[in-house]
Amino acid sequence: MIIYNRILLFRTVFCLICLFLYQPDQVSGKESLPEGIKWLTNTTDPTFASEQAKKGGIFHSSILSFPMTFRVVGPDSNGSFRSAFDDNQLSLINIHPNTENIIPELATHWAFGDDKKTMYFKLNENAKWSDGKPVTADDFTFTLEFMRSKEIVAPWYNDYYTKEIDKVIVYDDHTLAVVATKAQPDLHLRVGLTPIPRHFYGKPDKDFIKKYNWKIVPNTGPYQVSDFQKGKYIHFERKKDWWAKDLRYFKNRFNVDKVVFTVVRDINILWEYFKKGKEDVFSLTMPNYWYEKSKTPVIENGYVHKIWFFNDTQQSAMGMWLNQDREIFRDQNARYAFAHAMNIDKVIKNVLRNDYFRLEHGFVGYGKYSNTSIKARRFDLEKVGQYMRSSGWNRGGDGIWNKDEKRFSVEVTYSNDEHTPRLVVLKEEAKKAGIELRLQRLDPSAAFKKFLEKKHDVAWMGWSTSLRPQFWEHFHSINAHKPQTNNITNTDDPEMDRLNDAFRNSLEEKERIELSKKIQSKIHEIGCFVPTFMVPYVRQAYWRWWRLPEIPGTKMTGDLFSPFGSTTGGLFWYDKDLHAETEKAMKANQKLKPVTILNELYKIKS
Amino acid sequence: MKLNPLTQKKIRRFQSIKRGYYSLVVFIIMIGISLFAELLINNRALIVYYDGEYYFPTYGQMIPGKVFGLDYEYETNYRDLQKRFRAKNSENWLVMPIIPYGKLETDLKEDRYPPFPPSFQEEHYFGTDNVGRDIVARLVYGFRIAIFFSLILLLANYSIGISIGIVMGYWGGKFDLFFQRIIEIWSNVPFLYVIIIISSIVVPNFMMLVLIMAFFGWINMTWTMRTVTYKEKEREYILAAKSLGASNVRILFKHLLPNTVAVIVTYAPFSVSGGIVALTSLDYLGFGLPPPTPSWGELIQQGWANMNAWWISISVIVSMLITLIVVTFIGEAVREAFDPKLHTTYE
Repeated sequence: MIIYNRILLFRTVFCLICLFLYQPDQVSGKESLPEGIKWLTNTTDPTFASEQAKKGGIFHSSILSFPMTFRVVGPDSNGSFRSAFDDNQLSLINIHPNTENIIPELATHWAFGDDKKTMYFKLNENAKWSDGKPVTADDFTFTLEFMRSKEIVAPWYNDYYTKEIDKVIVYDDHTLAVVATKAQPDLHLRVGLTPIPRHFYGKPDKDFIKKYNWKIVPNTGPYQVSDFQKGKYIHFERKKDWWAKDLRYFKNRFNVDKVVFTVVRDINILWEYFKKGKEDVFSLTMPNYWYEKSKTPVIENGYVHKIWFFNDTQQSAMGMWLNQDREIFRDQNARYAFAHAMNIDKVIKNVLRNDYFRLEHGFVGYGKYSNTSIKARRFDLEKVGQYMRSSGWNRGGDGIWNKDEKRFSVEVTYSNDEHTPRLVVLKEEAKKAGIELRLQRLDPSAAFKKFLEKKHDVAWMGWSTSLRPQFWEHFHSINAHKPQTNNITNTDDPEMDRLNDAFRNSLEEKERIELSKKIQSKIHEIGCFVPTFMVPYVRQAYWRWWRLPEIPGTKMTGDLFSPFGSTTGGLFWYDKDLHAETEKAMKANQKLKPVTILNELYKIKS
Repeated sequence: MKLNPLTQKKIRRFQSIKRGYYSLVVFIIMIGISLFAELLINNRALIVYYDGEYYFPTYGQMIPGKVFGLDYEYETNYRDLQKRFRAKNSENWLVMPIIPYGKLETDLKEDRYPPFPPSFQEEHYFGTDNVGRDIVARLVYGFRIAIFFSLILLLANYSIGISIGIVMGYWGGKFDLFFQRIIEIWSNVPFLYVIIIISSIVVPNFMMLVLIMAFFGWINMTWTMRTVTYKEKEREYILAAKSLGASNVRILFKHLLPNTVAVIVTYAPFSVSGGIVALTSLDYLGFGLPPPTPSWGELIQQGWANMNAWWISISVIVSMLITLIVVTFIGEAVREAFDPKLHTTYE
């Protein structure tokens, strides 16, 4: 004990000395805050959590495969589970999910510089990392150093944080400015940085990738990893004295004490688990689950409730991404023909019960930024014939197009077993059009790796979305023909590059909207993406002791029971009494009223 | 062909074991049916008579709809064509197979969603799977793939296993010791996992799957063959052959192999059923042949995923049961026929 105290004392002294040595350097030579800054904040937008929410309970959720790493940068880090880590890292500011106005997060106040490329922030002085260290302006400086470092092996981030963000200016521990490289209309979306803890990483060295594969990084959000076993589970625990718990837009949210993610590799087993009550929520977005499989005692007896909630948000670019480095798809006519050979409408009608909607292009739901004049290419055998013949293809004896001993036969790689019926129908229909699809189902991680390494013919996947459309990463030639970038179509088109650069460099919102629409037309013209479905709603089943606010979600809600996520997550809570009541009813075989909630408040009017 | 009297005796004995004998007959019929499945279960007509000409679409290239006066270039839908002929009361006619659905064809309906229950009216006698494909078609074509998979696998496994085993036993000494160690190491590789890992990276085709399975499957046979050879090579007839100056190859394959055939033959039927089970379980797990290949494993998977559609699981489980029982009965009878002690009976 004495030794321990001595060490502690020594450390304190050491820290004081360091601080003493460090401090003058910090202050001298630093710029001072410019005059006449108009500080802004937002304490007036409506809150969207429920006053009735109570803290407590354990929330059981699942993941289909264990993440390949806990890092959120570097190789193999771009899997789906990274959102659980990202969601627990707050940024300077955020967007209100219903009004899209700026709301405070780590910063309490912000201000815009006259140059349209600088934003000033005042940090919340209570903001703390999960290891107890305060969040300081220096952590944002470190974000730049870290993201620009070659050692993290993340070319996209290297590039983004060099080309988009110029610098972070520290005025004092709690005041800073973030400067973008150029003036731009949506500055707040660009410069609302997320801090990275310098005290945790130090300077990234060449061992970074290996060293931080399974390290738990301190965070600023409501939950932190408390326990995990690779391949099996990850537990998150709520921080009991989280610094932000009483802030206006965080109050009454993030109510569950503990979130348990178990690896369940099979969706059928997951469904069985859910019916046994080992899982708390199950997604019923798939039509066969919503209509057929939910005719099950736990739902009919009212122990499990169903909800269908329409949202109004950016739609994932779900569809077929054609690899233009493959010989067949180098020809634009072949790409057009391929698109016309996909009978998506039949799949929607006969397999998906008209529950899904046709996605017209990759950027639907981005408001003014969406080009609503684009219509996806429809199933049309005549057009397929025209395009193929004009490129010199002929129908072979098996009915498949043929040119120089080469058949129009392509591999479609996908990862979700539930999508097999859709693809089987597409395959049969494509055969009529003279195109053979070879279906290949891989484990999600393996499939994604294959796409990123550009080894696919056709990738069947959707991308996650952001507030404004992202074109550069998917369509700029800088990201083509090399592994580990998101340009999985290997789009390499000078005009597209020009538009992309112009979009990135543009200052004017109007011009950006114009460019955005032009780029979308260009994507349609290139024809490297065949849009398939959109699902502008979320359908879920949940055990009735989980409670949702009166308006269960927000315009941006993609999952009503997302435990984290500073924008829309953590609205639900656990009701102990209802749990007891339900268990009693189940034991006594007593039926409760079945409940199906339909909420169309935010449904897009067509 | 003149058979060795001993062999004749064994065949007679096999025939006298009725259960095994009839199982073999059933099994041969099953394979026969599956070989000519295109004539029984198919969405292509057997014969089409159109404008004075006969067409036989079953085998060979597809015939586009244009040929029969339809307005499309893709494969003719013969069921529709038949209806058309009948409606027009024309002199054209066609004959469809007993089950007029293909193995990959999705028969989707308006306002109803698959899987569809069994229906005699629609000629889906066992119903359809979750994309509207006929289950009988899937079963029969799936059987053909499974049975040939396991026969080819058997051939591959046995040729490698027997050759290595017989040589180990015959030469003995250092060669034997060396191969024993290799096999010990080899057999410790968890082969199912290896297959799963390989198939999650590359989806294997038929021959590749056979190769991967054979890569690990030959081991079992070596041990047995080695032991049998050790016993046989001490017999006088080998000594006699040696003293007459027979070469090693001649002794191995002309003298030793025929005398160990009893062992090989008794093992074979069980290896066949093993092969079927292996392919089915790999398909069930999603690591076998890629969709939409007809496969029993995939049907079991569908049955499990759609418990309400009882016709899927029942038909595939019953087919699996019949096949495995038949093969096992054959195996038992063969074993008994080759048994030197004639008193063993199976009840």
